[in-house]
Amino acid sequence: MNNLPTASSTGWLNKVPEVALSFWIIKIMSTTVGETGADFLAVDAGWGQGMTRAVMAALLAAALFMQLRTRRHTPWIYWLTVVLVSVVGTQITDLLTDGLGVSLYVSTSAFAVTLAAIFFVWYRVERTLSIHDIVTRRRELFYWAAILCTFALGTAAGDLATEALGLGFTWGAVAFGALIGITYTAWRMGGNAVLTFWIGYILTRPFGAALGDLLTQAKTYGGLGMGAMWTSVLFLSVIVMLVALAQIGMNGSSAAQAAE
Amino acid sequence: MTMQHSIVRPVAAVSAAVLLALAAGCSKPADQSHAGAAPATPARTAPAPQGKTASRLGDLSAFRGIAADVAAIVDKGDLPAARTRIKDLEVSWDSAEAGLKPRAAEDWHVLDKAIDKSLAALRADTPSQPDCKAALGALLKTFDTLEGKA
Repeated sequence: MNNLPTASSTGWLNKVPEVALSFWIIKIMSTTVGETGADFLAVDAGWGQGMTRAVMAALLAAALFMQLRTRRHTPWIYWLTVVLVSVVGTQITDLLTDGLGVSLYVSTSAFAVTLAAIFFVWYRVERTLSIHDIVTRRRELFYWAAILCTFALGTAAGDLATEALGLGFTWGAVAFGALIGITYTAWRMGGNAVLTFWIGYILTRPFGAALGDLLTQAKTYGGLGMGAMWTSVLFLSVIVMLVALAQIGMNGSSAAQAAE
Repeated sequence: MTMQHSIVRPVAAVSAAVLLALAAGCSKPADQSHAGAAPATPARTAPAPQGKTASRLGDLSAFRGIAADVAAIVDKGDLPAARTRIKDLEVSWDSAEAGLKPRAAEDWHVLDKAIDKSLAALRADTPSQPDCKAALGALLKTFDTLEGKA
């Protein structure tokens, strides 16, 4: 993971991390942390939904700006952006559902269509959807647009499963986990790597939410009763540790490169 | 790079499996009764009523208790105090969403809307006592309806 592909002549290195174990752990946990954090600000801190939305959108814009300006993959900026995309993607769905009364069936289909459209245009323009070659500004914009859309879609699909099927978090974790397993198996058996990656990316959103609920919810509701705060502290610690390790690895490898 | 991925992906799968095992293993105690039946039928699997009526959402008495408290404070005319107290309802209701909503999403939305209206009434720029009283009256009635008392 720390071995970067050979530097491209354009001076741009791949701007996104390799897909490894820590990638998925951080990705899943950032869902919970993002959601709990936004919830805390909106309700406990009393900011209200409108204010929280505005602040999170501004933070995302700032993080994305930094991410776009870096010339190489920088773990802490990348993951900060992912956490904020996770929050804003969730808020978009919540705004549509709770604020504007859009049916989850409609929003789920609309996000699915939008995501398909992003992939279509991305492919038409770039002739590849590979996430291993995010080496230009335009590709990176496609990448982040797709990621934002997967979080919104994952939220809507997860909520739909709760509403329409009465799927609680325990069975949600099992069901979405099983779907992730199937996706993984499909990839192992020669399924398209890019397609399976993005399906996994969508599915880990509701899976992460269910997992977070499992830890935070009271025992009365079948959770572990850790509460939102301790769960966030735990997840955030794991995230910070993994990102720090990645960051140190990056710095180490760049120092090594400079030394050569 | 391809080689690297073939090593790395199985690890991702193992991690998913571990998380999954955690999810399945840790949730046994209180959840089994209703979660086991939930996906099979959307039917009501509320815990057997023990003397008192339970809603499809389960035991709502803690939430109703706060609402009744707020209503009493509104009746006394102390709207700022009522506004402070109703936040307890907002916070506890919000944090229980993932546990309650899957039990009966429709009922959850009905109650959620009623709570929202009470919050809005008390948090209006110039809250009016009759409005707050009406909103809380409607909220308490919603609780009673869901618990099958009204």
